[in-house]
Amino acid sequence: MVIERDILDILETIPDPEMPISILDLGLIEEIEINDSSVHVTVLPTFVGCIALPVIADEIKLKVGELEDVETVEVQFIYDPPWSTDRITTKGKTDLATHGITVPDGTTCGCTSHAIGVDLRITAIACPWCESNETTLTSPFGPTRCRSIHFCNSCRQPFERMKKV
Amino acid sequence: MKELAEHLQTPMINLLLSIADDKLFLGHRNSDWTGIAPILEADIAFSSLAQDDIAHASVIYELINTINGQDPDQIAFGRTADEYLSASIVSTSDSFNWAAAIARQFFCNHFDYIRLQRLSTCEWEPLASLAKRLTTEQAIHIEHVSSWVVHLGTGNEESASRMQEALDVYAPLAVMLFEKPEGFDTLVDDGVLHQPDDFFATWKQSLHDVVSSAGLTLHLDQIASDFSGGRSGQHDEDFSSSLAELHAVFNEDPAAKW
Repeated sequence: MVIERDILDILETIPDPEMPISILDLGLIEEIEINDSSVHVTVLPTFVGCIALPVIADEIKLKVGELEDVETVEVQFIYDPPWSTDRITTKGKTDLATHGITVPDGTTCGCTSHAIGVDLRITAIACPWCESNETTLTSPFGPTRCRSIHFCNSCRQPFERMKKV
Repeated sequence: MKELAEHLQTPMINLLLSIADDKLFLGHRNSDWTGIAPILEADIAFSSLAQDDIAHASVIYELINTINGQDPDQIAFGRTADEYLSASIVSTSDSFNWAAAIARQFFCNHFDYIRLQRLSTCEWEPLASLAKRLTTEQAIHIEHVSSWVVHLGTGNEESASRMQEALDVYAPLAVMLFEKPEGFDTLVDDGVLHQPDDFFATWKQSLHDVVSSAGLTLHLDQIASDFSGGRSGQHDEDFSSSLAELHAVFNEDPAAKW
């Protein structure tokens, strides 16, 4: 018999192609449906049309398909509910920090002075290495679509941040 | 609503094409800067903006596929010039003038952001949920391009005058973004799309907020209601050269799998 726990254990071993943590810790998995020997996994992409999606789908199909009693695996990507950085697990956040990638906290900026509600100010972001707030944004775009590049003026180290979406 | 009534399908496809084609061509134009932008961070940024826009276009072409069953690659690359519904500003060459690239991006991003924000309340759920998701990504674009407008406007005399000139050159093209794709009014009349406020006024205000903090000025005149241009499939030379470039690889082998 196929049980959800086994599938979750498998998903925890699949690394995201662009982030140094598993797709489970990244909060991509929305739902797992099991019907006898067929498994349907619903996945939330971090960014719309992310080029890593086919790789993620193939990995899930391959690894979950290796489980005993599993015959078919389907992977579906949906945008509602939207993925957000709030979905990253505590373990995921800790692991990302050890790789120099920080994650925005749950608070949102209340600034609505702009006509369409976009905040143009860059707020202080804590360095994942030394926790100093003396940091500057080097580039709002980084090595992948979901990351920006920062520099810590205290410990003089570069770091990255998951974009707040 | 999850299913579109038959008489709303063509109007919805036209609307989706106008959004996706804008993104495809803007992304393609922005990718021209890969490797040659003024500074490394700007290079990464414009390449990322291009990647975002083209990815967003592909997802919208996939949404069209759910209505008419057409192959998304065919929709993106298999049409003739008059079947593309993008506004002309997105494919207008910037002649490798950085201020021009920023101005084009500035007008288009603010427009796209507000357009998506409005579509996120649309009654057709697949579009509403996608628009909601795209809006959050588009916010990052606006933040970036707006900071460049302020950066150039408050830089030195030369950067300010070049930014001002680019805004003046692109403003008459930018207002053409407001040409409605065919059938748009049907979608509004049938209650699929909501028009919460004056789109043009919101856009103008949002641009003005940035332009004034950059110490620059902006003049925008609304297009005539019977204006007919890019969204009616009528395109200029810049569009044709951009399209020829886009089609070149695809036409080598239209059935190739990527």
